[in-house]
Amino acid sequence: MAAGPRVAVVVFPGTNSEDETLRAVRAVGLQGELVHWSQPEALARFDAFVLPGGFAYEDRIRAGAVAAHDAVMDPVIEAAQAGKFVLGICNGAQILAEAGLVPGTGPLRLPTAAFAPNASGRFQSVHVHVKLSVTLDRVPILGGIEDGAVIPAWASHGDGRLAAPADELARIERDGHLAFIYCDRHGNPVSAPNGAALDCAGLVNRDGNVLAIMPHPERDGWTFQHLDDSRDVARGDTAATLAPSGGIRFFEHFAQAVRERFSA
Amino acid sequence: MIRTFVVSLTIPDNEAYTALETLGRLGIDSSRVVRADVWIFEGELDAGLAATIGSIESIHNPNKHRLAERQADRPEPGEVWIATRDEAPATLVAGRALPGVRAILRRTAWRLLDDQGRDVAPAVLDRAVETFLCNPAFQVAITQ
Repeated sequence: MAAGPRVAVVVFPGTNSEDETLRAVRAVGLQGELVHWSQPEALARFDAFVLPGGFAYEDRIRAGAVAAHDAVMDPVIEAAQAGKFVLGICNGAQILAEAGLVPGTGPLRLPTAAFAPNASGRFQSVHVHVKLSVTLDRVPILGGIEDGAVIPAWASHGDGRLAAPADELARIERDGHLAFIYCDRHGNPVSAPNGAALDCAGLVNRDGNVLAIMPHPERDGWTFQHLDDSRDVARGDTAATLAPSGGIRFFEHFAQAVRERFSA
Repeated sequence: MIRTFVVSLTIPDNEAYTALETLGRLGIDSSRVVRADVWIFEGELDAGLAATIGSIESIHNPNKHRLAERQADRPEPGEVWIATRDEAPATLVAGRALPGVRAILRRTAWRLLDDQGRDVAPAVLDRAVETFLCNPAFQVAITQ
């Protein structure tokens, strides 16, 4: 395998999105590998980390709570503190919040915010768009992303509602931790389908190297997964149907950031 | 009127065991963790409520659950209840209304026991709550 930045896709018992996440990571040219929770020592050789979606430890106690205290998170937390990039998607985002890495305004593993049960009280699976809602300097983890970028994704969770005390929500908004909000396909803000405070779809830490996003861009990363006309236009053309597009842009920016940091 | 029911597992409780393991990793010494679901019903409650609840499998499956009524809607000594801070009371169970029930609140009850089967010291339980069992961003811990 060619030399280049290595990205660990960390698998917990109950993770269920590791394959499509790994596929997205590899599609943008990164050397992705699955690393299981029982291999924390293996993480030392990676340059960046992705915590994929699923139900780590069956969401026992709270979504992400047990995984946040798992030994495999020790090197992930150390890497985050050392400035390496850490991306959490859906359950991965819940784990990052429970680990205190996002918004990262309090002590480690003593969360100041949570992706709490949806306001509906139910699991929801709905196609969404999310919009970058911070200035570009706040998200070095998404290298080259454009101001106000709109990313298509699937929100598919039972616990995606940002919840925090009022002063913490004010801090999240004021200090640029509100990385993504829900929007329509044109970028116009819409209410979060899960009732999230601030209509939050994603949080970033102070240094912009840890990003937690609830919807799954990797599930809308290929033409055949799109809900718009592009899927119908491509029908009958295998190459076009299987072409990366849409949510894969999110991973392209992640890859750019990882490459730039790796080369530095 | 308020009536409180506690539903606990009669089979091994994987969630409680996971909590025990995680608390051990955090250095919180306990030999056993006991967990239960708490259901609090408010309204003009029917005398047959317990039997009704006992027949709703999503609350109480007789093959693996024990259903008991509590006299108080507060935790017992040595116990902590975790609630969602901004919980909107439900009115339906498994999609159906129950006679006279105006509101349904849910809690998770936790109890930590030492190797003699006694409750751990309150300070130990407090530490378990603060470091793991409760996320204060959206939850609240209720003790006696």
